[in-house]
Amino acid sequence: MPRLIKDERLAYVTSRLLTTVLIVFGAMVLLFALTALVPGDPAKTLLGPQASPELAKRFITEMGLDQPLHIRLWRFFGAVLTGNLGVDVISGKPVVQLVASVLPYTVILTFSAIGLSVLIGVPLGIHAATHRGSASDTILAFISVAFIAVPSFVIAIFLLLIFAIWLDWLPVLGTSRSGEFLDEARRMILPTLALAAGWIGFIARLVRSSMLEVLGEPYIRTARAYGLPERMITYKYALKNACIPTIAILGLGIGRLLGGAVLVEIVFARPGLGRLVYEAVSERNFPVVQGAVLVVVVLFVVVNLIVDLSYSAIDPRIRRSPGQGAGA
Amino acid sequence: MSISIDRRTFLAGTATAALTAAWGGPALAQQGPRDKITVRIDRDLANLDPAYRTGPWDANVCRVVYQRLMKQKVNSAELELDAAEKIDQISPTEIGFTLKPGLMFTDGYGEMTAEDVKFSFERIGLPPKGGQKESAYKADWGGLKGVEVTGKYTGKIVLEKPRANIFTTVIGDVSGCIVSKAAVEKLGADYPSKPVGTGPYKLTAIERQRGATLTRNPDYKGPAPALQEIAIRFISDPRTTDLALRSGEIDFAILAPAVAEPLKSVAGLTVSEQPSIAYVWLGMNVEKGPLADLKVRQAIRLGLDVDQMLAAGYNGKAPRLNTLLPPQIFGHWKEAPVYKRNVAEAKKLLAEAGVSGLKLKLTILNQPAYQNMALVARALLAEIGVTIEVDAQEGGTYWNAGNGDSGKNLDLFLLRFNGKHDPNFIMQWFVSGQTGTWNWQRWQNKDYDALFAAAAVELDPAKRGEMVVKAQQLMDQSAAFVWLTNEVNVLVHRSWLKPAGVPGWLDWQYDSWGLGA
Repeated sequence: MPRLIKDERLAYVTSRLLTTVLIVFGAMVLLFALTALVPGDPAKTLLGPQASPELAKRFITEMGLDQPLHIRLWRFFGAVLTGNLGVDVISGKPVVQLVASVLPYTVILTFSAIGLSVLIGVPLGIHAATHRGSASDTILAFISVAFIAVPSFVIAIFLLLIFAIWLDWLPVLGTSRSGEFLDEARRMILPTLALAAGWIGFIARLVRSSMLEVLGEPYIRTARAYGLPERMITYKYALKNACIPTIAILGLGIGRLLGGAVLVEIVFARPGLGRLVYEAVSERNFPVVQGAVLVVVVLFVVVNLIVDLSYSAIDPRIRRSPGQGAGA
Repeated sequence: MSISIDRRTFLAGTATAALTAAWGGPALAQQGPRDKITVRIDRDLANLDPAYRTGPWDANVCRVVYQRLMKQKVNSAELELDAAEKIDQISPTEIGFTLKPGLMFTDGYGEMTAEDVKFSFERIGLPPKGGQKESAYKADWGGLKGVEVTGKYTGKIVLEKPRANIFTTVIGDVSGCIVSKAAVEKLGADYPSKPVGTGPYKLTAIERQRGATLTRNPDYKGPAPALQEIAIRFISDPRTTDLALRSGEIDFAILAPAVAEPLKSVAGLTVSEQPSIAYVWLGMNVEKGPLADLKVRQAIRLGLDVDQMLAAGYNGKAPRLNTLLPPQIFGHWKEAPVYKRNVAEAKKLLAEAGVSGLKLKLTILNQPAYQNMALVARALLAEIGVTIEVDAQEGGTYWNAGNGDSGKNLDLFLLRFNGKHDPNFIMQWFVSGQTGTWNWQRWQNKDYDALFAAAAVELDPAKRGEMVVKAQQLMDQSAAFVWLTNEVNVLVHRSWLKPAGVPGWLDWQYDSWGLGA
């Protein structure tokens, strides 16, 4: 097939952008299918026993739920294109406003957790790889697997018991009353740790296996033969290549952490997008569910797009079509 | 042993020390009384416009941000004057009122007048005007003809027919809150999060999922509340609430008995049990298969042991309920039968009904108390030859289980409704017209309907009380209801804090909360 775009980088970026748009489109369709399949009458769930049948009917009309699915989908698409995610039927506020009020909490928490995972996981992985078979490697392997296996909300409860109750070092609640920066930062420690724990273990294991693979490469043997210091070989030559799979996995990590954030937000009573969606689903508050989930999807695909693009910048082989590989 | 400190170690140590100093070390619980407290609510505040409030958590804020013509006395369901200087029952359908002069709305919205009263009541009770949305609480003001303004501070509430509960459940409740007409019209969609009232507190902060802050209103004309500031924190998880109480980050919460029990041993915390006016029962669909037979329903009632179910569901802390109305509610049937488990009699009734190998589904909300009670019920009914399948559903699905035609498929179910201090409010869900809506039993009784309607307009308490008791007797005769409990609210708070609430503790009275020694 003749290629329309000659520049391989531009072709790659274009194809990734198109994929991103398709994913968002697919997610929107899926969202609508889910809201149609979820049992329960939103009017009754939201309005409670005192609502008259007339009010319930008007409420359903207001939410647009009396329309066929394809009409609702079409309207939603049209609204989203103009930046309108609908109106929360409970508070009467635009969904955009609701999402905007809690989004920073989730973004800060998720990115803090990713940052912490990298900061702790990468050095641990390097240490395990460079001390293969040692006692510390075995202990790290055990701890890493334990962190990966234990759900974040269980870790959250343990952290609360240890640091907030027994040691009395840190607060229980994940947000402050005052909104002061230092207080907020202090309250971020436990939620971030709880959310990051599993990923610290995962990244440590991933970096360890990548490092071991890279450290066995011929160019590393050559570097050693030249008498370069081990530290330089590890950090300058091996780590760059060993980190490529880790960078690739970070995009997925954002998605996993966004999911994991729901439980952490509930345990630490922190505002957040996950909690907003969780409550909206319980209440059958469909405009908020659709709007908030769409934002999560967009956040996820944009982060993955950025990761993919940066990944292709680090490793040019990624953006070459089959048959155009290194040896071609 | 020699210790060498390189540059990296020194920098790391310094950074650690600086961080430790910055966060100020351990967060210790405050020991003594203070006039700024933090209260936990288990649902997020959503709408502080009385007409569109979403539940008790919103209503409790409305109670102190706004004034009503009348309000409940401290720790009582009895009413006293609030914004009204005088209130008279002119006739069975007319109620005159005179406002206290000088009641000032916050944020510069001026003085409360009879026009504000008219606007506040009619926007709930009358058909909506000019694109306004209908209130979910329209039924509260059911039968309202309108409010006539007769002077700056005077007016007359006119009803289509007498209402026995007009004071207790409407004028003295949240649908009787008086809003500023000017503020509602000016703020529009922002009003639910920027309420303007004349009450003892004003809302100074609100944020989704975090909660709100109430601050003493300096312009309030009544006695100043003891607490300067009340922070309301939304914490959905009971375990987090437990930990936050222990750490001193919150000062008050209502918890389930099982969760509250361990907190009794925590120094500085007081745990007290307050009977609730919510009512819980096991209902039976009288239209469904063998359950249409009275003897089968009676057999199930005799096959159950309510005390055992309560021990499992509420740690034995909840009082047993034997009739629809809890003891605190006017019209409570004191002589209601207390059914004791009788396996032999239950089996005999099933045999008389010609039923054997009966299999039924018990639909419940997926919460620990109901799950535990359902498991006990299953074991108990197995002994009389009835096999129970427990169907635990999440809220959104569960609350629609009795809706429309899907309600016809229900067998047995555990239900819990919130009450108010009025028999008609509680009785309303069991009339024939509620079949397929909230009357999940699908029990239809014309005599009950007539008693309900008569009690609603009967202004003589003695006569009304008789009607209400008769209605409860009819429910008992149907055997469609196995009354379980009116529940218990377990209050956990700092020992120096003296919370106040209307009996039943659905309605909190923040403005009467005090500080102890």
